[in-house]
Amino acid sequence: MGVKIVQRHGKTLREKLYLPAIFGGMKTTLRHFTANLSDTPQIKTFSYPEEQPQDITERYRGVHRLTKREDGSVRCVACFMCATACPAECIFIEAQEREDGVDEKMPRRFDIDLLECVFCGACVEACPCDAIRMDSGIFSFIGKKREDFIQTKEQLLAREAKENR
Amino acid sequence: MSGLAIGIVVLNVVLALLFSLGAAPILVWIERRVAGLIQDRLGPNRCHIAGVRLGGLVQSLADMLKLFFKEDFRANAIREKFLFSFAPVIVFVSAFLSFMVMPFADDIYVGSERFIMQGLPIDLGVLWFLALAGLSVYGIMIGGWASRNKYALLGAMRSGAQVISYEAAMGLSLISVLLCYPSVQLGDIVRAQGELLGGVLPAWGIFLQPLAALIFIVTAFAEANRTPFDLAEGESEIVGGFHTEYGAMRFGLFFVGEYVAMSASSALIVTLFFGGFQLPYLDTQTLHVKMPLILGALVFLVPLGSFSFIRWMRKHNRWRVQNDPRSRESAWLTKVIVGLNVVFLLGAGYGLIVGLSSFSTQFVTALLQVATFAFKLLAMNFVFVWVRWTLPRFRYDQLQMLGWKVLMPLALVNIVVTASVIVLKGA
Repeated sequence: MGVKIVQRHGKTLREKLYLPAIFGGMKTTLRHFTANLSDTPQIKTFSYPEEQPQDITERYRGVHRLTKREDGSVRCVACFMCATACPAECIFIEAQEREDGVDEKMPRRFDIDLLECVFCGACVEACPCDAIRMDSGIFSFIGKKREDFIQTKEQLLAREAKENR
Repeated sequence: MSGLAIGIVVLNVVLALLFSLGAAPILVWIERRVAGLIQDRLGPNRCHIAGVRLGGLVQSLADMLKLFFKEDFRANAIREKFLFSFAPVIVFVSAFLSFMVMPFADDIYVGSERFIMQGLPIDLGVLWFLALAGLSVYGIMIGGWASRNKYALLGAMRSGAQVISYEAAMGLSLISVLLCYPSVQLGDIVRAQGELLGGVLPAWGIFLQPLAALIFIVTAFAEANRTPFDLAEGESEIVGGFHTEYGAMRFGLFFVGEYVAMSASSALIVTLFFGGFQLPYLDTQTLHVKMPLILGALVFLVPLGSFSFIRWMRKHNRWRVQNDPRSRESAWLTKVIVGLNVVFLLGAGYGLIVGLSSFSTQFVTALLQVATFAFKLLAMNFVFVWVRWTLPRFRYDQLQMLGWKVLMPLALVNIVVTASVIVLKGA
């Protein structure tokens, strides 16, 4: 077994004086300050509402959407897998029989409470039919009332996937 | 009293208010913007009145308004309601009053009448500052105790112990400075700093007493409760420290008081160690004699400075959205700066052509000195902010160790050495 000797700091006079280290630190911060003051546009900060982020990838978990079949009807079969997988218990599904023969079941209601949702993506993982996705790219959802945040089936169906730039 | 005399007194009071009370919002702005720039971000820059942002200065106004109109909340457990409300007042008033003895310019003579250019025309100088700066800790102690909150009490106790240990070193370091100068009145001290040291260096306190300057600056940080000595409000350990239970304008007074105290400390540091209102190599007498020459130089320098500032502003002050009122700010500010320059050039040209009377020479000299003082004060305040965003907070035992075992012996040694040198030189 080799022994590694860690050198202790703070015993020399230079280190005990503190001042050289303090002035060194102040030099560093002043360098940042003057560099940023003389050329502000190089700062990476962007003015958010006017400038939107450009780095939302395809895999980004935004607000949910419900996908559709080729004929435009809802793909969801109301199997409750997503509601079961949801750790925040924010998905409320009411099932009904599907009459048009495409499938056996479909949701009558499909509500997601975005105030409860933790955007973990467990519902997307759980879905056997690829009926729910989080690829809308919406990262900021605004409402004025609590009710605005409960997304209904119609709202979820109307949402489209984010176009890839 | 003539109208002129009243004018001078009013000017003094207004300047004192401007430098202490008016400094608070500006300092808050400087603190936030400098912090931002040091940390490679922008800081507050969006708030505006009809498109005018002044680099984010309007944000301080908005913050002040918010503090004023917030609900004045007080917990039911607080029994000493009067003391609880009175504590921020002590902090604020003592910080505010300690500024009143800082000389902004050399004395002005109207006939045989002498006017001291400071907020209150008294000769107490350093003693007044020390008395009032020590008082502010009462506010913190009373506030922390009256809060009936363990964190607040802990913060207050820390603050009390800190001030006791640093006041000693501060007072001792001041003694060696006062040994070098003929009086405790700050105007006399600054006048003494107008001379030259061996014909080369200006006789500023920092060159005469470098060790005392260092000790005083360190203790001034502790006195103003600024990082790295802001243990009274160590939010990582004791929530908010002494102001945990405070909100709205009660907290606002603590907050403003901190900045006014910082400004007062900077003013004293500038006055004692950086030549106060003295321009280096140009004492009041020289300024009086060479006024036309200096005005002539300023006629060129001020427009040049304004021009480079406008260029800098046009490069940086951009707003990306076209129809936003904020995108027109640069053009508007350019007009204001050009207008101010025209006014200045007209005034200076008039003074140069017609010639200055003895009083107007004194007045222009005083204006120059006030500008010098303001610039130095701002620079020292910048140092306070700069240090805050560079150094981490001290651990409590390290703080006490530094105060009692390092700064105090150093200050004592400094007194002995200074006194010996003075006695030897006198003998």
